Amino acid sequence: MKKKVALITGITGQDGAYLAEMLLEKGYEVHGIKRRASLFNTARIDHLYQDPNVTGRRFILHYGDLTDATNLIRVIQQVQPDELYNLAAQSHVAVSFESPEYTANCDALGTLRILEAIRILGLTEKTKVYQASTSELFGKVREVPQTEKTPFYPRSPYAVAKLYGYWITVNYREAYNMFACNGILFNHESPMRGETFVTRKITRAMARIKLGLQDCLFLGNLNARRDWGHARDYVEMMWLMLQQATPDDYVIATGVQYSVREFVQATADELGIPIRFEGEGADEKGFHGETGKCIVAVAPRYFRPTEVETLLGDPTKARVQLGWQPRITFAQMVSEMAKADLRDAERDTLCKRQGFATYDYHE
Amino acid sequence: MKSALIIGITGQDGAYLTKLLLDKGYKVAGTSRDAHMANTAGLDALGVAERVVVHSASLTDFRGLWQTIEKVDPDEVYNLAGQSSVGLSFEQPLETFESVAVATINILELLRLLGKPIRFYNACSSECFGNATEPAVETTPFKPRSPYAVAKAASFWSVANYREAYGLYACSGILSNHESPLRPARFVTRKIVSTACRIADGSGERLSLGNTGVVRDWGWAGEYVDAMWRMLQMDTPEDFLIATGKSYSLQDFTAQVFAELGLDHTEHVDVNPGLYRPTDILESRANPSKAERLLGWRATMAMPEVARAMVRAEREPTSSKENRT
Repeated sequence: MKKKVALITGITGQDGAYLAEMLLEKGYEVHGIKRRASLFNTARIDHLYQDPNVTGRRFILHYGDLTDATNLIRVIQQVQPDELYNLAAQSHVAVSFESPEYTANCDALGTLRILEAIRILGLTEKTKVYQASTSELFGKVREVPQTEKTPFYPRSPYAVAKLYGYWITVNYREAYNMFACNGILFNHESPMRGETFVTRKITRAMARIKLGLQDCLFLGNLNARRDWGHARDYVEMMWLMLQQATPDDYVIATGVQYSVREFVQATADELGIPIRFEGEGADEKGFHGETGKCIVAVAPRYFRPTEVETLLGDPTKARVQLGWQPRITFAQMVSEMAKADLRDAERDTLCKRQGFATYDYHE
Repeated sequence: MKSALIIGITGQDGAYLTKLLLDKGYKVAGTSRDAHMANTAGLDALGVAERVVVHSASLTDFRGLWQTIEKVDPDEVYNLAGQSSVGLSFEQPLETFESVAVATINILELLRLLGKPIRFYNACSSECFGNATEPAVETTPFKPRSPYAVAKAASFWSVANYREAYGLYACSGILSNHESPLRPARFVTRKIVSTACRIADGSGERLSLGNTGVVRDWGWAGEYVDAMWRMLQMDTPEDFLIATGKSYSLQDFTAQVFAELGLDHTEHVDVNPGLYRPTDILESRANPSKAERLLGWRATMAMPEVARAMVRAEREPTSSKENRT
């Protein structure tokens, strides 16, 4: 059988890295699009890198940007993908309130540019498309839990842009008979999650607090409840969707929900940090059980103009129709993330002790 | 004196809204992409072209928009601009998104930035509902079926989000189809009326239509702009569905137009599958009871009256027959 070819936009992100790894294991030739940047931005996929000088390469990167249609058309024409996974996006909800137009350009128009490129290149019969949709579409939820049939109520410029991406994908499927699917993914995390997303921010900060590299972790709404799964489980689902006889949209979730506070607690437990919470709302604080120091505090600057209080997915359709079930539990995921961040923090401690400079990123 | 800025003033609704606001004593200014090149046929037809100032502004140019709002200093802003043809949106999906959704975000961002108590009306569309076999209401979930409708859905939610996030007085009017002699000829209602009138005059041509089984709720544009204005006079901003509440098929509309001219439409109409859209809405039905209850607004003209008025206008020598196509 001929080797299948996949093209992944957003390959340098968390999901892109896991998906590329999985597709390579399945024997695919994997192409990825990454943005040009003055700084290296391939940390998550460096382990997959193959020297351009070797023959029979199966992992190939292209420069590209979802805001540049000419570039997308050229790369897609060159790669002639069997499967295209559109994972690239401005994916940070809080940032979307700061840069709404940029978010619309990447997340809404970027999706349209991909679909149009496939149409204009005459690849509608060949190329199957996975569109990364999001549980943020449900926003101010109209029912609990959320299924594929739950009406949307987007609550951020990010969610509104993704709403466009969702419906334009449906429209191209219906209008031009394209094999195009939306995965409505609930939050999915891992040690590769970007450091500015709340889960990774928590595990990283708690690890650094444990080793004395940081004093306090500042968070927004501690009561926000999310359905958190592991990215490695979720990328499998993306692939499964494109192996079906007919294209469809699926909710991907665990069906279990935790608050941000519970995420902090689970991380603290994993790292052996005793913590107790006191107070409410913006005055809530988490104190170290032994030293009594304040290690977690609420900073209203992280509150969003419109909050999404609760998200809980019902993945029944994915389970019944695709036989998909998440394998990694919440506790296992938190543990993996906390351990990885503790390892990084240990490296930094070691370097500092030996007099070497370490990066001290702040979001 | 109250001041209003109408973005997209040269379109059908812009012209009718201009007239309405001038009659109410407003000072009215408008924008068009290029004010010097703008086609003011609609404003001319209603006799208001000389009474408004038209500024050049592209809605995807934040700075230009800002300058215009500073100059006009409006109490109310109506955004009626944007690529408004469903059929064309399949040909130009990108331009449709930019002129509809990016434009709305730009206006909302500007109002957020200025922090003035400016009230904002944004034109949304019943196309967002997709097929509605049961009459849609404001809370009916959207199921858009065209790049136009998807873009309008995004703009609707942007308005809702800015209202909730930043407390802006911002409303979406979810308007069902509304027609008038000012509709350009690429819209099917105007095309039917113009062609039927030429046939009545002996042109001998045939009228070629796409799917005549589609069902729509057609109202009169002159009445719908009144609902827009009413939305901005409330204590709290809300979204409203504006429609007549009565739906008819395109076949019914065609029959009505030909009957007004004493003709039998079945003798003059060809169905051309080439005019079918890649995805179309078969049925559009709407229930405007919220508008009646809270705005005191109600349509007095439904499809038969609209068809009659359009035919009458087309037959008048003074009508805007030369309106852009």
